[in-house]
Amino acid sequence: MHSHYDDDREDQDIMPDFGEHVDNGIFEQILEMDDDDKREFSKSLVTNFFDQAEETFVKIEEVLNNNKLDNGKRLETLSSLGHFLKGSSATLGFNKIRDSCQIIQQYGHKLNVDGSAEPNEQVCLDKIKAALKTARNDKDVLADMMLNETHGFFQPDDE
Amino acid sequence: MHLSTAKANTTIVADMANSLLNMVIGGHEDGKDKESHSDINDSAPGPDNSDSLQSLTQEHSNDDDSHHILASASASASTPTTQDIEDENDPAWSIATTTTTDSSVDDSSNSNVTVTLQEDVPPTHPFAAPDMSLIFDYSPIPLLLLSSSCCITRVSKRFCQDWHVTEKDCVGKFLLPFLDGQVRETGASKSKHIAEAVDDAVASRSERTSKAITVKSAFTCRARVIPIFRGAELVSIYLEWHERPTSDVLDNELVQPGLSTDEAFRILVQALKDYAIFLLDTKGHIATWNTGAQLLKGYTRDEIIGKHFSIFYGKEDLDIKKPEMELDICLREGRVEDEGWRYKKDGTRFWANVVITAVYKNGVHVGFGKVTRDLTERKASESRLIAAYEESEKLKSDFLANMSHEIRTPMHGMLSACALLLDSPLTERQRDIVNIMDESGQILLQVINDILDYSKLASGSFSVSSDVVGVASIITSVVRSVQTTLPPAVHFELFLALNLPKSVQGDPLRYRQIVQNIVGNAAKFTDKGSIRVRASVHSEDSDSYTLLTEVIDTGIGIREAASASLFTPFSQFDLTTTKRYKGTGLGLSIAKSLAELMGGRIGYRPNPERHGSIFWFTARFKKIKSLEQIQDWKHQMAAKDGSPISHIQPDVTILQKRLASVAGRKTVLLVEDNIINQKVMLGMLRSLGFKSIDLAADGAAAVKMVTGKPVGYDIVLMDINMPIMDGQEASQRIRDANVKVPIIAMTAYALKGDREKCLEFGMNDYVPKPVDRKYLIKVLATWLLEKVDYRKAYDERLQQLKSCDEKLHRLSVSEGATVAVARRESEDGFLKRGMALGGEERDEKGWNTLPGRQGHEVHNAGVAQGTFEEPACVKIPDAVERTERPHQGPPPTPKDEQPGWLASQEGRQDLYNGGVGEGVPDEEVNANGDVPVPVPVSDGEISPRTPCVTTDQPQVEGEAADEYERIVKP
Repeated sequence: MHSHYDDDREDQDIMPDFGEHVDNGIFEQILEMDDDDKREFSKSLVTNFFDQAEETFVKIEEVLNNNKLDNGKRLETLSSLGHFLKGSSATLGFNKIRDSCQIIQQYGHKLNVDGSAEPNEQVCLDKIKAALKTARNDKDVLADMMLNETHGFFQPDDE
Repeated sequence: MHLSTAKANTTIVADMANSLLNMVIGGHEDGKDKESHSDINDSAPGPDNSDSLQSLTQEHSNDDDSHHILASASASASTPTTQDIEDENDPAWSIATTTTTDSSVDDSSNSNVTVTLQEDVPPTHPFAAPDMSLIFDYSPIPLLLLSSSCCITRVSKRFCQDWHVTEKDCVGKFLLPFLDGQVRETGASKSKHIAEAVDDAVASRSERTSKAITVKSAFTCRARVIPIFRGAELVSIYLEWHERPTSDVLDNELVQPGLSTDEAFRILVQALKDYAIFLLDTKGHIATWNTGAQLLKGYTRDEIIGKHFSIFYGKEDLDIKKPEMELDICLREGRVEDEGWRYKKDGTRFWANVVITAVYKNGVHVGFGKVTRDLTERKASESRLIAAYEESEKLKSDFLANMSHEIRTPMHGMLSACALLLDSPLTERQRDIVNIMDESGQILLQVINDILDYSKLASGSFSVSSDVVGVASIITSVVRSVQTTLPPAVHFELFLALNLPKSVQGDPLRYRQIVQNIVGNAAKFTDKGSIRVRASVHSEDSDSYTLLTEVIDTGIGIREAASASLFTPFSQFDLTTTKRYKGTGLGLSIAKSLAELMGGRIGYRPNPERHGSIFWFTARFKKIKSLEQIQDWKHQMAAKDGSPISHIQPDVTILQKRLASVAGRKTVLLVEDNIINQKVMLGMLRSLGFKSIDLAADGAAAVKMVTGKPVGYDIVLMDINMPIMDGQEASQRIRDANVKVPIIAMTAYALKGDREKCLEFGMNDYVPKPVDRKYLIKVLATWLLEKVDYRKAYDERLQQLKSCDEKLHRLSVSEGATVAVARRESEDGFLKRGMALGGEERDEKGWNTLPGRQGHEVHNAGVAQGTFEEPACVKIPDAVERTERPHQGPPPTPKDEQPGWLASQEGRQDLYNGGVGEGVPDEEVNANGDVPVPVPVSDGEISPRTPCVTTDQPQVEGEAADEYERIVKP
């Protein structure tokens, strides 16, 4: 009997190395929740995540570009947005994006990554802008690895 | 006397006739010798005498045989007797004359008689037969006739001669005083022999021969006593005096058939080598000895004759007076048989079979016959056989026990693998197959467990542990676990007697095993109707309770023929149903042994009310006497439970399996703002078997949902950083609303110290993010399997405190409480909320592996009884209703607006904090840790934190959460 259990292992074996982008352990845990051969659940999660990430990035960008708000208020919002995306990226094991989100959250709190204070709000905003860029980049790379129609982890015919 | 029949009379009279015949024959010569003794002859017969003779002759006249014998005797002997000596005035003699005349007696003989006895008695009739009186008088054997009152009525001439007395000395005197004057030895002992013989003969209505007495004239004689009856009436007693030594009498009579036979027997007995056969006298002294006896016992004839037979017995037997006892029994029963050690002359012993028979001669006890066989060889081989049997039994049991153990180990491996497999993604078909494997494995394991138990019980190596037993909680727990398997048409009813002790000392596992077995059986064989479980105190003494547990079902019942073999191993009462009802047939047998092991009994009777069965068993439990004892256990429990947050469970797969078995009945509230995380958590929870999961996107919603259904959730998974209201705030509000549902924090990058922080806000535990499945399983298992349901915590605490505080007993318990009438409501899963009873959540299969289970029983002791304080009947379905809609239930009394376990939280809090807890400090209460840690309530702290729900998102999330993150960040 060739069980799905074995299939899973094969899948794990052929799972591409997402490198630093993905925590394989956590991501596997997500994959294990799929009910059947098709990766419906995990694929929808990943797809949703990229949508959510894009939405959040847009929001971050909006806040960064919104000069009507004072810096303090902007940073606070940015921190919250960073925290928000950090949660879901961590849940899926998307480490690189998570790290960028962490940076955004930290500078939103006017803190350096090591936890020391960064009183200069402009520095914080700049750091957040850089982190957003990195995050976007990472997101694009990962989305390609995950969802590319030819070589992505989730193939369209899975659906 | 009333036993008399014509036949008995005939026999007696025939004997009498024989005796007379003998006399007559013997008296022929003596007659002439004694003719001169006319003086002896002429005394007038007393009234008794005449009566006796009259009756005698009448008897004869009524009996053809004796009549004939009498007549022919007279004739053939040509004895000069009868009517010449007959007293005309005595009607008896005339009757006798008539009698003899009726018979065809030779006339010539009559005339002879007349002539001979002319001097003594005037003749009345020339043709009279020889006079009986004459025969009597001239009998060569000394004779006495007694009245029924033992007064001497007539003596023969020979008697007077032998005893040196005159007729005047005797007649009219009572026998005993007369004898006392005649016997040589003084005292009553000798004449008593005669008296005994007379009594005995009269009582048995047959002849008896007395023991010998020695009379003054220096001869020894014995009396042959013949009682003479007419119908039931004793008319006379006839005594012959035989002047012979005992042994002669014995020998003579033994020899009767011929000396050669006696000789043959003597030779036979003498020659027998394999049997010791010998005679004992009445006192047990050895009288004879044979070759077998000599060979067996080692004594020669000369050495042993005259010795007492107790010489063969060992000291132990002598100490208990066994030889005397044996003779005593032998006298009573006629025979006694014994097996035991006997000793030879050289002191060696042998295993003997001994038969002692009382020996009587002519109704006289003369001694005992003793036959001894040497069974040493047989005994030895028997012992070897028994030893071999016992050895093989032991080996068999050991083998079974070992093998069962050996089989169980791989079985567990297989079952675990099955469980893992079931946990993985499978197609429907594959799942079916694995399910079959799993189910079959479970059954096989049950069979093996049964056999293991049985062999342990059979080999006697089963031990009963001593622990706290919460009878009520065990029963309710079993009932709940069985309930899930019942068809909807079956009601469960649970009756716990008012005086049922909350906690007793005994073996909770074994008790549970029996309850599980008979309740399980009831469930198995009941398709509709009810199963009633009833527990009560059967009896009670100063140290212990005997508890009676009955299970009454309306199932298929048991045929009368089958009921006898119910408790025998491997029997299933109906083979046709075996396929339908699986099992080993060992269950009841094990239950029986377990009940007996617990000092109780088990039994069955048909259900008198409806078709069905009643199984009952009793078990004895020690009383728990001191408060210290309880306190000790409480501390042990506390140690077992440890801190509220402890995950000691090593094997996640087992935990997961157990979790899966309860997950379907649990309702979870997931509070998570991030849709991705929500989805992941939902997926994870569903994969663990949770079906009822509510979602809240922020803390405020969570508070609203939880406070809206204060007992609706089994557990809350709470994200910390959320918009509107963060998790900490939400938790605090939930606690402020007095809802004790376990709250598990979910937070990223949690470090040491965060737990404490979470606890501060009223949360119970936490799971770090990203959520690790295994970690989540452990935490959920801790709170859903191990911890006592928070909804019961108050009842339980109350009960515990009550048991510690005598004063609280005044909270009287209403009479005849029906605790629960619960109906299976599996689909909507709210039964669990309705079930007020029992201890830990049910876990059908794993109950006996549940760590700390016994501890839980202590917690749960008396939980069910807690409900007694509610109105007499708490029906669970109602309770469930009220649980769902707390204010819609019919309020029996204002105070009981909610069922006990739902009673107003304020009231409970009061009890918990103050009223009840007096003398029990909070710390102690908390030490057990199974109650959600009370939230430190301080208005000062709460108000500033209370955020305004209308504030915009980032602000709400703000401070607390981010501050938190800040600390966390390395």
